[in-house]
Amino acid sequence: MKADIKNMTPCKTPAVGMLSLPALLKIVLFLSMFLGLFSYLSVHPALAESLTAKEILDKVDDLYRGTSSHGKMTMEVVTSHWKRTLSLEFWSKGKDKSLVRIIAPLKEKGTATLRSGNEIWNYLPKVNRVVKLPSSMMSASWMGSHFTNDDLVKQSRFADDYTFEVTREGMRDGQEVVEITCIPKPEAPVVWGKVEVVVRRSDYLPLVNRYYDEGLHLARTMTFSDVKTLSGRSLPTVMTLTPEDKPGEKTQVSYDSITLDVSLNDDVFSLRNLQQ
Amino acid sequence: MSLIRISWRNLWRNRRRTAITMAAISLNTMILITTYSLMDGLLGQTARNATQLSTGEAQLHAPGYLLDRSQYKTLSDHRAILTTLHEQSIGAAPRTYGYGLVSQGTKSAGALFWGIEPPVEQTAFRLAEHLAEGSFLGPSPHKELVLGKKLARSLNAQVGSEIVVLVQAADGSMGNDIFTVKGILKSVGEGIDRNAAIMHLDDFRLLFVMPEGIHEIAVTTNGRAPLETLTETLSRIAPHAEVRTWRQLLPTLSDMIEISGTSMSLFGAIFFLAAGLGVMNTMLMATYERAHEFGLLKALGASPWRIVRDVTVEAWLMACIATLFGMLLGLAASYALQEAGLDTSKLAGEINVAGVVFDPVWRASLSFKAVVHPVIIMWMVCILAALYPAAMSARLDPVKSMHQV
Repeated sequence: MKADIKNMTPCKTPAVGMLSLPALLKIVLFLSMFLGLFSYLSVHPALAESLTAKEILDKVDDLYRGTSSHGKMTMEVVTSHWKRTLSLEFWSKGKDKSLVRIIAPLKEKGTATLRSGNEIWNYLPKVNRVVKLPSSMMSASWMGSHFTNDDLVKQSRFADDYTFEVTREGMRDGQEVVEITCIPKPEAPVVWGKVEVVVRRSDYLPLVNRYYDEGLHLARTMTFSDVKTLSGRSLPTVMTLTPEDKPGEKTQVSYDSITLDVSLNDDVFSLRNLQQ
Repeated sequence: MSLIRISWRNLWRNRRRTAITMAAISLNTMILITTYSLMDGLLGQTARNATQLSTGEAQLHAPGYLLDRSQYKTLSDHRAILTTLHEQSIGAAPRTYGYGLVSQGTKSAGALFWGIEPPVEQTAFRLAEHLAEGSFLGPSPHKELVLGKKLARSLNAQVGSEIVVLVQAADGSMGNDIFTVKGILKSVGEGIDRNAAIMHLDDFRLLFVMPEGIHEIAVTTNGRAPLETLTETLSRIAPHAEVRTWRQLLPTLSDMIEISGTSMSLFGAIFFLAAGLGVMNTMLMATYERAHEFGLLKALGASPWRIVRDVTVEAWLMACIATLFGMLLGLAASYALQEAGLDTSKLAGEINVAGVVFDPVWRASLSFKAVVHPVIIMWMVCILAALYPAAMSARLDPVKSMHQV
């Protein structure tokens, strides 16, 4: 199972726990991780001119964790067999509460995923039921998935769970970048053998995260692009994940609108609201 | 003829000794026949369970399907293949597979969904008779599920329970629906028990947005065709498909059967050795007592070969009589075990052989081979065991040996 997560390969056997989940679910889960980005920046407005490696990693980590947000985004998933685009509305609060609801396409409109702590619930409007994701799937690799559940639920931090050093500073593609190489500590709950974090020097916004498996082969790449001013902040508004072992496949998230530090009642993240 | 009569008389010169040796040979023969029959029964039953419930003797898939079980690797010309198989009266059932989630209330679990055509499946395989509760799927689709035993237990599902089903469809969308539990399978094997959620092929096609193609054709001849012939036939009928026999599909079970063959041979070897040593001892004693007779025969011009022949025929005659009794006893024991069987359920509960569930009543399976092999090998062992005493007698010096008594 662990190897499967690492290599991002589809399940090879019909064993329990190694199961495919709808691409949609992984998408919304992935989003829930991405939501904190704006909230964080809102509480840390001015960036210091020069950050240490630890400060950079903390900043990158905290992009995914924040206070609260509400917005809309578009998700594009491309696999070798199908391509689809989803419009989504999301809400997030704190580290571990998020709700994502599908707006389009019509066939799946209303489908929603609620993440509360380590629990993930899905609402299926067609059958008007709420389904809890079984714990066996929380740690499983999803067949055909560009993500693993571990990415989404585990709260590992670069600065705490990895040893790191700045391995490169210089120009790339016309801008000054800093590359930090992170090697997981032996006991860290991490499936990667190595992660390279590349940020741009000017504002320390992330450019690329490169994930290597335990054999130190590149497994997947997360690219951050389209820095725009949304809600008064300058931010990368597009994230693209490309798995190395599936050429031509990718998952791309782009923000359409976002409101930060909105006041959200905890009821928003209740099962009752999920089944609205 | 006179040779046999002489041997016969010689055998009974020491009745008690001969009777004891013959009893030992009989007993060995009986034990071997019974054990082989029991073992044949076990392996046969296991292989039948494995193949006739659902695996089949062979399966057809799209090339590479078994490697990653990708739902996009389908057999497209399955209708033609099924028609041809049907014409050759080879049992065959088409199936589709897909992964997903099943949920009831707060319980949920991963599942491997099967899409089957119930009437076809029931004609070719016996899975439908293997139900613990409820009934099997009907001939038309009604959004009903038959669940594996452990899967049903982990969902707390009974017959009639409503199950929410959530899958990734072939077009990337999220297929979801409510199904009703129609039946729950008896224990079949770990994979099916934990994972299987079986539905009508038409329901599967809607749920998974898969209007065409199937993933598997399971084939059975109920043991009529040897695997090699079947593989050849299948490769000819479906040249684009990948043909796998159950021995390749269930390698653990196949290996287990091979290993039991080897271990049974070892087991047999020990019994034959014991019998052989007994015979050798008896014949050594018998020839030692008659050393002067052999000396006299040689003095009268008998060749060493004649003496070897006399002694080995004597041993063979003993083996014949003993194995006759042993065979009758073994046949009786095996027949009884075949008819009544051993009820193992009280001893060990549910027995699982290499992931395949075994029937609780262990029945022997009598075969010509299981009877004849021990008998013939026993004859050879007795003759071999007699060669040493025979050679000793043949090499006697006539003068010295006649002095002995």
